[in-house]
Amino acid sequence: MSSATTARSTQVTVELRVNGRTYPVRLDSTTTLLDALRDELHLTGTKKGCDQGACGACTVLRDGKRIVSCLALAAQCDGSEITTIEGLAEDGHPHPMQEAFVRHDALQCGYCTTGQVMSAVALLREGRTGSDDEIREFMSGNLCRCAAYPNIVAAIREVADS
Amino acid sequence: MTATLAKENVIGRPIDRIDGRRKVAGAAPYPSDFDLPGQVHAALVSSTIAAGRITRIDRSKAEAAPGVLRVLTYDNAPTLTDPPQNALGSTMRRPLRDDRILHYGQHIGIVVANTRAQAVAAARLVEIEYAEEEPVLDIDDPRAAVEDNPFGMASSRGDVPAALAAADVTVDGTYTIGAEANSPMGLFTTVASWQGGRLVVHDTTQAPSFLRVALAVMFEVPEENVRVLIPFLGGGFGAGLRLWSHTVLTTLAARVLDRPVKLVLSRPQMFHSVGHRAASRQRVQLGADRDGRLTAIDHDAIAANGLGDHLPSPIVAVTPSTYACDNVATHERRAHLNIPFTGFMRAPGAIEAHFALESALDELADQTGVDPVELRLRNYAEVHPVSGKPWSSKALRDCLEVGSERFGWPGRDPAPRSTHDGDQLVGQGMASATFEFYALPCTVRLVVDRRGNATVRTAGTDIGTGTYTITAQLTAELLGIDVDQVRVVIGDTDQPPAPQSGGSGLAGALGAAIQDAASELADQLARLDGHPGESFASLLDRHGLDELEVTGYSDLAGAATHADVAPAGAFAAAFAEVGVDEDLGLIRVRRLVSVIDGGRVFNAKTARSQAIGGAVMGIGMAMLEELAYDPNTGRVANGTFGDYLVPVNRDVPDLDITFVGEPDTFNPTGSKGLGEIGIVSIAPAIANAVYHATGRRIRDLPITLDKML
Repeated sequence: MSSATTARSTQVTVELRVNGRTYPVRLDSTTTLLDALRDELHLTGTKKGCDQGACGACTVLRDGKRIVSCLALAAQCDGSEITTIEGLAEDGHPHPMQEAFVRHDALQCGYCTTGQVMSAVALLREGRTGSDDEIREFMSGNLCRCAAYPNIVAAIREVADS
Repeated sequence: MTATLAKENVIGRPIDRIDGRRKVAGAAPYPSDFDLPGQVHAALVSSTIAAGRITRIDRSKAEAAPGVLRVLTYDNAPTLTDPPQNALGSTMRRPLRDDRILHYGQHIGIVVANTRAQAVAAARLVEIEYAEEEPVLDIDDPRAAVEDNPFGMASSRGDVPAALAAADVTVDGTYTIGAEANSPMGLFTTVASWQGGRLVVHDTTQAPSFLRVALAVMFEVPEENVRVLIPFLGGGFGAGLRLWSHTVLTTLAARVLDRPVKLVLSRPQMFHSVGHRAASRQRVQLGADRDGRLTAIDHDAIAANGLGDHLPSPIVAVTPSTYACDNVATHERRAHLNIPFTGFMRAPGAIEAHFALESALDELADQTGVDPVELRLRNYAEVHPVSGKPWSSKALRDCLEVGSERFGWPGRDPAPRSTHDGDQLVGQGMASATFEFYALPCTVRLVVDRRGNATVRTAGTDIGTGTYTITAQLTAELLGIDVDQVRVVIGDTDQPPAPQSGGSGLAGALGAAIQDAASELADQLARLDGHPGESFASLLDRHGLDELEVTGYSDLAGAATHADVAPAGAFAAAFAEVGVDEDLGLIRVRRLVSVIDGGRVFNAKTARSQAIGGAVMGIGMAMLEELAYDPNTGRVANGTFGDYLVPVNRDVPDLDITFVGEPDTFNPTGSKGLGEIGIVSIAPAIANAVYHATGRRIRDLPITLDKML
């Protein structure tokens, strides 16, 4: 990572590895991972719901673990493997979690959905799908104002059991 | 020829929503996802006081900041024309009109810069000085200007004072509800671009056709020169029904700079920029005989309203239609306060009225010893209580009976504090709901091509309710084609005008317009001498036509004025079980049964999602949500998702959703709308359950821990 200081901001060059591709980007050191994904890489599937780490809409995977990308600086992610909703499909086939969300109508307006899906994929890896209550508890960092919550639990349950 | 839905091959089936795959892939474009070539970014300057005047503005530091292109405040901005009134009441006060500050967070300037970060940073450098006044923030403040609701909510039948005086039993209760923020997940966004004299605007709106008219008037351009695009919205729950100042300011900045300008509200700004459910206080007086038959209802309501703002959002409007009762009077007032403008929030008015009425009915059940379900059946309005006409459909009785059965209501011990489960007191409560018929005119264009595919076009949008999907299902059903042969083009005002997605009125109006178009198409096909069972493809081919285009139109409200039935809205009943830990004041909803008569259900899967969404938002209203204003400064004190609590996944109890009833006989498609009915009876059912659990009647929402101690 190199940097150059100006009176008002510090520009940094960061190598972001997102969905298996490497993107060298030059940005202000205060740029969040969320803004870098959306504004620099034009990966707009990751959504901004609060920019305060309180809603989960911007959830992505960093080295396989879920984080809210609005609370991570892009510069801190240099060298990390980031997975966004755009990187979930394999060989053009949607991830089973994406398909289960559609089948169970685990979305309405769809704005929080990509964050929910990323969180749900991480949940499987965390082994937090032992019961519906456990799913509810560990999906409670992802707000859904349309309240697709019961259908989200059903979708995760189906994928976890398959 | 009238196209009919008799076959029901496609309609009603629980197919996956047709836009679902795009949404789970992150490929559905919301307004904040649009970036235009040459686009620059805006940030707002918001008032830090709630009342007073601006005495000095210094833009110089902001103008000198890196990347800044323009700073607009009232004293240097071009003057706009006032926005027109529309079917939803008055639009907001024109922004940057003068030096007056009416509420905290009022948008008093807009800064445009090359990047969003530059704009946000520079907005903080605009120096404003104020002559501050003491804000009026409470509906009980004697300084508040109070007026009768200008939309004519006062009504009277019979002689209420005499009936109350003569009643065997009376109930007199005062019910208050805190202000609630709609809080859709999507941050409201405007991306405005002037191309010559033509405006293209991506905007988070539930009412694209209204927005088009408003912008055309304000910017003095012909309506056809304004295009509003909103294919995916990111939630609204009513927040997107009004014209908001950030939309106007962004459009203005784009015009001044002659460049595309993008503005995304921050989450804290969402709490004071896009409306809220007004705080309200109601008094309900009931008179009844010893058997619980209502002889009088007097319903008085007062709600907060912004200064200089006039919004119908009527609370008592539904009351005369709810129960068979000879003597009913309603009164409604507005207190104008230094608060951010109120707006519409899911089932506006109806939900407030039902909290008061259904709580009062529970009190009447308690006093008379009549079971709450039986009490509602004894006062059942078999015909419309105002017009005396038969309902176009009403299965509220089924809602009550099916709900009672599914919940296991019979045999409940009516005595408060009668059931324990470990440390918890357990209570069961119920409430019913009557929702009013509502519709505005709608136009669609329907095209069928030589391959037998159809395209439906209308300006209305899908806010997550499933409009894309039910439009495709209805069209497929009426035309006898497959759902995947239907393309749905909506959320674009270059298409025929449609009503807002609000008031539970779009599905019915749009469905009727699609049916009208399908009927017109059938007439055209008949003129082409089609053989029975002949496909569109064959028929068009035979006549050397590439496609057929027809227009469909509905005006259900117009038709309602001379109908011999009373057009019905949806009905519902909810049954709730709560557990209360009295030592800690903790309340938990353990299970909830919701039964809904929405007429014909177009898609069982998306309809169920609407009912779930309403139920959960109802839990939020009952137990969590209240927008807090600092009583001294009028500042929104809890404008973040860390402070303003909305229900999370863990808050959702065991939910049981059932639909009952038959297709409505007034709406040609049989629909009555489902977007709002699912929330209406939830809060009173929970409040009544809390009473049953604890013996404490909480008449003030939300029922937070402090009210239980």
